[in-house]
Amino acid sequence: MHLDDLDRFPVDDEGLLWRPVRRRLGITAFGTNAYTAEKGDERVVEEHREQGGAEELYFVASGRATFTLGDDEIDAPAGTFVYAEPGTKRGAIACEPKTTVVAFGAKPGVAHEISGWEEIFVAFGHLRNGNEDEGRKAMAAAIAGKPDAWQGHYNAACFESLTGNREATFEHLKRAIELDEKAAREYAQRDEDFDWLRDDPEFPA
Amino acid sequence: MSGTANISELAFGLAGGQRWAMVRTHFGITAFGVNAYVADEAGIEVVGEHDELGERSGKHEELYFVASGHATFTVNGYEIDAPSGTFVFVRDPAAKRSAVAKEAGTTIVIAGGKPGEAFTPSPWERNAPALAHFATGEYDKAVEELERIHAETPEDAGVLYNLACAESMSGKGEQAVEHLARAVELDASFGELAEKDSDFDAIRNESGYASAIAGKPDAGGSSS
Repeated sequence: MHLDDLDRFPVDDEGLLWRPVRRRLGITAFGTNAYTAEKGDERVVEEHREQGGAEELYFVASGRATFTLGDDEIDAPAGTFVYAEPGTKRGAIACEPKTTVVAFGAKPGVAHEISGWEEIFVAFGHLRNGNEDEGRKAMAAAIAGKPDAWQGHYNAACFESLTGNREATFEHLKRAIELDEKAAREYAQRDEDFDWLRDDPEFPA
Repeated sequence: MSGTANISELAFGLAGGQRWAMVRTHFGITAFGVNAYVADEAGIEVVGEHDELGERSGKHEELYFVASGHATFTVNGYEIDAPSGTFVFVRDPAAKRSAVAKEAGTTIVIAGGKPGEAFTPSPWERNAPALAHFATGEYDKAVEELERIHAETPEDAGVLYNLACAESMSGKGEQAVEHLARAVELDASFGELAEKDSDFDAIRNESGYASAIAGKPDAGGSSS
């Protein structure tokens, strides 16, 4: 399979495209995805730390990017590997059009577990691509995979709120609060996805 | 420790003409396997034919990514045309896979791991620190490193073979023959490999060499 054949899911409004590789090929021993910035001068790796303990290796497959790794800034032309330990803050901005970064990751010492966020990314990716029905199916799959995780229901609530479905939003948000009241309420109270429903007397959070 | 490196800084030459970048060991990655291979000329076997079943293999599922150039993969007899940007995923550890570069500068990044289990490095990677000394011609250092690894894993035929290579290249003919014989005794395929391996040119006339690669007890004769 070629990079050009991978799905292209927008992750944010900055132009970052997520290209799922592990999911497409059915890899189960480690995680791997590609990220593409089409225009250059866009984010190609979101800034984050791996809170779950995964080691991550980024490979600049084409173009050029400026990585942030802890306090360092790294010029990374094609052919560069950037390795980030779990606690290290990392991110990258593309410097050239069509910059693609392939990321590999897994947690040391344990069998690889497929990240629950993958299907959630797919759901929102479909939504950003204008395919609400496919997005809703992916969100249902995410919840079915981890039915007792508050995050799945919380993200489903966001999805339904963004698509204007008041009842479904409240239903998922109530379930998320049942599963983890503190976390779900804290996130919901400052999440702009719910702004249009916040003053509703039945808003659960 | 977090860090960065370019393939061009990491890759060193191997006997087959390809260059190897030991990415996992360079960064100290412990959660998955990752290496890269570079062919500086078309026609070089950039991924040597292998499966993931042998004693020195990790039983991994493997993902190959053609980072630059163009390669032809062969997986269980099927040819796959793989220009730059192609992923080739080999799930079955029993599948025979290899790749030949169609263009100079073909670079392939490989990641691997065993489904359902925490990652452990493939036994063949034990040789990695010593093989870097081959690239710089520091064969005495390679011998020293491989002797240390051999003491830890005395029945690893791959380590014995590489130790014999290093000894041959550093003028220790007698020890080279002894370790090559033991490697072939443990794994007969090393006899065929030795015949094609220029590292052993220096010892082909040594007493016991012919018996060593044939996997037979030394008759005391010469191979010439």
